[in-house]
Amino acid sequence: MIRLALRSDRGLGVRAFVGALTGALVLAVGVSAIAMTLDRTGVVGSSIIILFGINAIMVVGFQTFVGNTGIMSFGHVAFMALGAYAAGIVALPKPLKAAFLPQLPHWLASIEFSLPLSLAVGGVVAMLVALGFGVFVMRTSPTAISIITFAILVIVNEVLSNATSLTRGTETFSGVPADTTLGWVFGVFVAFVVGAAVVKWSRFGLDARAVRDDPIAAQASGIRVVPSRVYLFAISAFITGVGGALWAHFLTAFSPSSFFLDQVVVIVAMAILGGLESMSGAVVGAVALSVINEGLRRLEGGFSIGVVHVPALDDVTDLILGLGIIALLRWRPHGLLGDTEVTVDAPARDAALVTGEGQTDGGSPVP
Amino acid sequence: MITFLQHVVDGLSVGSTYALLALGLTLVYGVMGLINFAYGMIIIWAGYALAVATTLDLPFWIGALSAVSVATGLSLVLGVLAFRPFLNAPPATLLITSFGVELALQATAVLVFGEPARVIATPMSFGHVWRVHGLRLPAIEVGSIVLAVLVIAALDFLLRHTALGLELRATAENRSIARLFSVRPGRVVLVAFAISGAIAGLVSIPYFARLGAVTPRGDLYPTINAFIAIALGGLGSIRGAIVGGLALGMLQTIFDVTLPSSILGYQDAFVFAVIILILVWRPGGLSGRVPEFT
Repeated sequence: MIRLALRSDRGLGVRAFVGALTGALVLAVGVSAIAMTLDRTGVVGSSIIILFGINAIMVVGFQTFVGNTGIMSFGHVAFMALGAYAAGIVALPKPLKAAFLPQLPHWLASIEFSLPLSLAVGGVVAMLVALGFGVFVMRTSPTAISIITFAILVIVNEVLSNATSLTRGTETFSGVPADTTLGWVFGVFVAFVVGAAVVKWSRFGLDARAVRDDPIAAQASGIRVVPSRVYLFAISAFITGVGGALWAHFLTAFSPSSFFLDQVVVIVAMAILGGLESMSGAVVGAVALSVINEGLRRLEGGFSIGVVHVPALDDVTDLILGLGIIALLRWRPHGLLGDTEVTVDAPARDAALVTGEGQTDGGSPVP
Repeated sequence: MITFLQHVVDGLSVGSTYALLALGLTLVYGVMGLINFAYGMIIIWAGYALAVATTLDLPFWIGALSAVSVATGLSLVLGVLAFRPFLNAPPATLLITSFGVELALQATAVLVFGEPARVIATPMSFGHVWRVHGLRLPAIEVGSIVLAVLVIAALDFLLRHTALGLELRATAENRSIARLFSVRPGRVVLVAFAISGAIAGLVSIPYFARLGAVTPRGDLYPTINAFIAIALGGLGSIRGAIVGGLALGMLQTIFDVTLPSSILGYQDAFVFAVIILILVWRPGGLSGRVPEFT
């Protein structure tokens, strides 16, 4: 019999690997189906659903690095910004380019990418920047890396604000085609959730978690610390960059100041709520916090949302979020799922293989 | 030559402020592994103490005193309520906790004082400028350097020549073994938070005297520079904090002077890029200890 379970390890063998991936697929497809249904029935506005989907992609991207390596990153907003700007630049219609960005290099001015290409460009640019920084940065201690990711955020923000010929500087970058649809968002979402599961259960993910749990023992076992971190940094930057590109095609207008710490807050809160060490947790956390958020909004009464909704939080929400993050870490540091993942248990061909792979108790300490 | 000396003085004065900020951070990092993202917010709250004193037309020294008390008290309260429960938590958890604390403190500041800047008045003497052989020595710059020297000297005395300092150093070195020698980690951590807060309060005086106003979202600038300074100098080391702070101040001044005006907007990007390269060369920071990977 095939059944879903929460497991903190995938077990050995191809069947277990496929089971773990199928679990991720089931989770992602399930969440997407519910979201689509909600949209179809009109209970929730589709801009809210799209924003939820984009946020969920960001959280999966964030968790892929932070969860597996145990290193907090502030840099992911920078990757989101890079994805958004890169996608915006390649997808901006030619007449608008001539008007807004007259100094654009010719090869950029003469192209006009469609959505899939522009998403790919957004992801790749973010990934290349992450690789560039990563190979230098990942040699230091986790705390120093966290600090440097903050510096990366400042660097990227400054470059975007000053590279006027590419980004219009601090002025609003507008006119990006509004191509982001529900289908695209959730298609990308499902692909990335499965992709993140592949990464997590691959050799690289295992290496990174081994380094996270005990760097010295990991090195003694022949794991190379720097590549294990750089690899996940790049992958997670790619996911976040594509998320940023989707965001750009959804909002169509943004400026460098759209991408700063207030963007991190929601993502961090979602990741912690679900369980920082779990990719399924990232998805569940995104769902849970979005539901809570939407519920609170409705309680506050008749607050309809326009098409251009910037996720700007008012200060009471910030206060609650801040206290909520502290309280969660204090009393429920493992979040909802701990370090467990939604997994499909394959029908056992040999019962002896599955014994000893029991339900977990919610996992080991959070990184 | 005079121009060069002038730049050295400017760099030292900026750097001494960073060094102090970094000291406050590194003390807490040493005893419990937390880099406090809310540190800048403590300075902002000290700034509001100064601003309230200005509004009430109180003498400046009362404002300064209340800034130091507010910062010390706030840091202690945060230490007890928010951070001490996480004494044995991994670094990422600690960092995210402090991120939550920063959010909460900032939202509270916005709710209490509002978004617009609050003016901070400083005594006339702060604006005085000495001139020595063509060298400009503004009182505020000299003041920050003197303040840094005094604080560092006091801290050095505390750490080397008192029982409390010994306990702090022992805890920073190895908490579990310190505990075997009847050092109570919880208490030591609170002492570190108190000192860290007091330093934040002291820094806030020249810091806001320069700015002349305080805004609730102004905390990132001191936080990021203090973060970079301790990463550059070496995490958890007192000497590292001082070296890192001064080096950061010098680097900023160098780029400020040498970058052509067309790319002056990229100043921070250049400074941080150079620092990342330095950390590639010495992953443990300038001061030497190499805590690679861990």
